[in-house]
Parts: sequence; C-alpha cells; structure tokens
Amino acid sequence: MMRPFKLPPQILRLVLLTLAIVGSYLVARAFLTPPSFGQYGWYRGAALGEIAARPPVFAGKKACDECHSDILHKLAADAHKTLSCEACHGVSREHCDNPDILPVKATGSHCIRCHEANPARPAWFKQIVVKDHYSGKCTECHVPHEPTKTP
Amino acid sequence: MKTQFSRRSALAKLGGALAGVLTLSVARKAKAVVQKVFVSTTAPNGYDPTKHKWLMCIDDNKCIGCGLCVEACKRENGVPEGPYFRTWIERYIIPKPKPGSDQTRGEALVDSPNGGMHGFPEPPLPKDQIEHAFFVPKLCNLCENPPCVQACPVGATFRAPDGAVLIDPKYCIGCAFCVQACPYGSRFLSPVTKTAEKCTLCYHRITRGLKPACVEICPAEARIFGDLKNLPAADPLQKFYEKNRVQVLKPHLGTEPRVLYAGLDKEVR
Repeated sequence: MMRPFKLPPQILRLVLLTLAIVGSYLVARAFLTPPSFGQYGWYRGAALGEIAARPPVFAGKKACDECHSDILHKLAADAHKTLSCEACHGVSREHCDNPDILPVKATGSHCIRCHEANPARPAWFKQIVVKDHYSGKCTECHVPHEPTKTP
Repeated sequence: MKTQFSRRSALAKLGGALAGVLTLSVARKAKAVVQKVFVSTTAPNGYDPTKHKWLMCIDDNKCIGCGLCVEACKRENGVPEGPYFRTWIERYIIPKPKPGSDQTRGEALVDSPNGGMHGFPEPPLPKDQIEHAFFVPKLCNLCENPPCVQACPVGATFRAPDGAVLIDPKYCIGCAFCVQACPYGSRFLSPVTKTAEKCTLCYHRITRGLKPACVEICPAEARIFGDLKNLPAADPLQKFYEKNRVQVLKPHLGTEPRVLYAGLDKEVR
C-alpha cells in the first residue's frame, strides 16, 4: 500500500520562508510604488508635472506686445526685428505684473555685447572695433529700436 | 456525499467575505496614506506629453556668440553659479595650415570661457592666421536613444513621450553615472541639490506655451524650436529644415539626437 505524499518538514519551511519573502516584497511594492509610475513609461509620470511646476522667469515678447505694441511695430520693421525685448531690458516678469517696477535700463554695453568685432562672428553680422569706432554713447548716432535710422 | 448548507456555514462565509472587503478598503486607505507620505504628486497643468513632439534646431551660420542664451538659461532655471551650464557656447578657431605642409588646415582650438556667458576674448591667433572661426551653441541633444537613461541605476532619468529627456529629482541619488554616460557633456552634478541636472527644454515654459528661455532671448534667431505634432504651415521650424541641410552631433554613436544643426564644420564634436 502506498503512503500518501507528505512534504518533508525542511522543504515546507523553505517554501513558507520563500512565500513570506516574496509576499512581503509584493506588499511593499504595492504600497511604495508611486501611483503615476508607469503612466508614460518606466518612471514616475508625476515627475513631468513637478518639473513643469516651476514658475517661468522670462515673460516673453508676447507679454511685451500687450502694452508696447507701438515699439514692437518699430522693431519689427527694422534690422533689430529678431531681438527679444528682454535681451536688452532684462527679465521683465515683475514689470508685467506691476508696471511701476521698471525693467533694467539698456545701456551701451548691450550693444557692444553683440557688435564688438570678433573673428568668430559671422561675416554678415555688423561689427565694430569699439576703440576705433567712437568713444561717446551709442545712442548719440543710433536708435536702438530702429538701428538703420539716426536720431 | 451530499454537500450540506447550514445557516452557520453560510453566515461564516458571508462574514469572511465582508471582513475581506473591509480589510481591502482599509488597505487601500493605508496605501494612499503611505504614498502621500513617501511620494507627493502635483496635478498636471492640462499638458498632455503624448500630444507634442519637440524639436530644437540650431542655425550655426547665425550664432554671434553673444552668450545671452547661456545667461538666460542660468537665470531661468536657477542654474548654480560657477562652471555649471545647461547650455553653453563653444568657439572653434581653425588656423591656416603651416606653409608647405600637406594639410588643409591646422589643429582646431576650442574654448568656452565661462560657457561663453560673458562673451569671448580676442582669439589667441592673429586674424590673418585664422582659416575659419565660428561659434557653436551646445545643449542636451535630446537623444532618441539616450545613453544617460541607460546608465541611470535608479530609473530617475527618462525620456518623456514629447522628446524631452528629464530627471526626476526625487529619485536621483546623485551617483553621476549619467554625467559620465552623456557623450555631449550636457549633464552636471548640482552642488546645491546634489542631484544631476540638465537642460529640460525649459519644461516649465514649453508646457505653458512659451519658448525655452535660450530660444526666446537669442537675438540672431540661431535657435529654432517647435512642436512637430502641432506645426503651423509657416512655422520657422518648417522653414528651417526645408531650407537647410542638417546634421547631428556624433552620429556614429547611434544616439539619434533631436537637436539638428545647420552649417556645422567637421571639427565640431
């Protein structure tokens, strides 16, 4: 007569231990995996929203256009049409929210930053050797918003 | 043998099922609490990353090396002071070959003082010895097959469906494997947060319909940025790649960058 199969106790202990380890891993995983994990891929989907939550610093040319469209029209008609307002006037987000806070006054150093001669600058770009050019203010002869015109 | 149904066994089974359901709901609540403690979530601001595909193009014939993009990037993203850049400008100076040598050009000199943020000094060579000189703006190349994502041991860096390669700062352990893995040198370990940082394509701006800070501020329109999935007919991006022959950096690595350059020299790596 055959005896009914009985799992040896040492094997049973191993099986139980394995089950306990795997089970506690599964429970921990269920509790600790962020809910958005796997939303888009093998990472936390909510991270995208968190990275995007940072408030922007630069206001952008469109924001300037809301009040200063006259100047932007002038700018668009001349050689400086590709310039962003904040390239010379600095970060202007606060000025957008409160017009009393004035942006940085643009000075001649802003002109030189781009127009100082450098052999690495493309040949089509207007460049000057500042010390040979003129020692006064740029705005004495040039209008920043309409650079091809004279004041 | 016939199965017997008694009131006692039926009630016991019902009670067991009820207890199961109750513990399940308790477990769910406990799970929610645990997750709130360990991982916070912010509500997405109505931006669906699967409905966009961003592309950055650089017209290298237009870059004047003013460094405004570098400065704007630092300001916009709060990049730490010092030699940490999410975008930077390199200057390549290719000297004329030595007279009588069989070469077409001398060895290229590359510099990027302070990332080009405050412009570039006079070149170390007199002008008549320079064959070519030009600027190259650099940033994260937004690889389709990013080596940095492969290298990250904790899955903190990833490629979003819209093409941006981002870092989850809550998962990053600051091991800097990704910094080593990036063939374009566009990552660094922040001394402030002690986590890896890189160009996010100004993710906080593009998700709000603004341009990245470097594109916004570039006075020469050397940087062109757009959304390939929502491209208007007269978009500058469309004009750019219809007009130019483009190339990518280090194509032999198979990273498939999504930053396209026009007018690049062979010396540029």
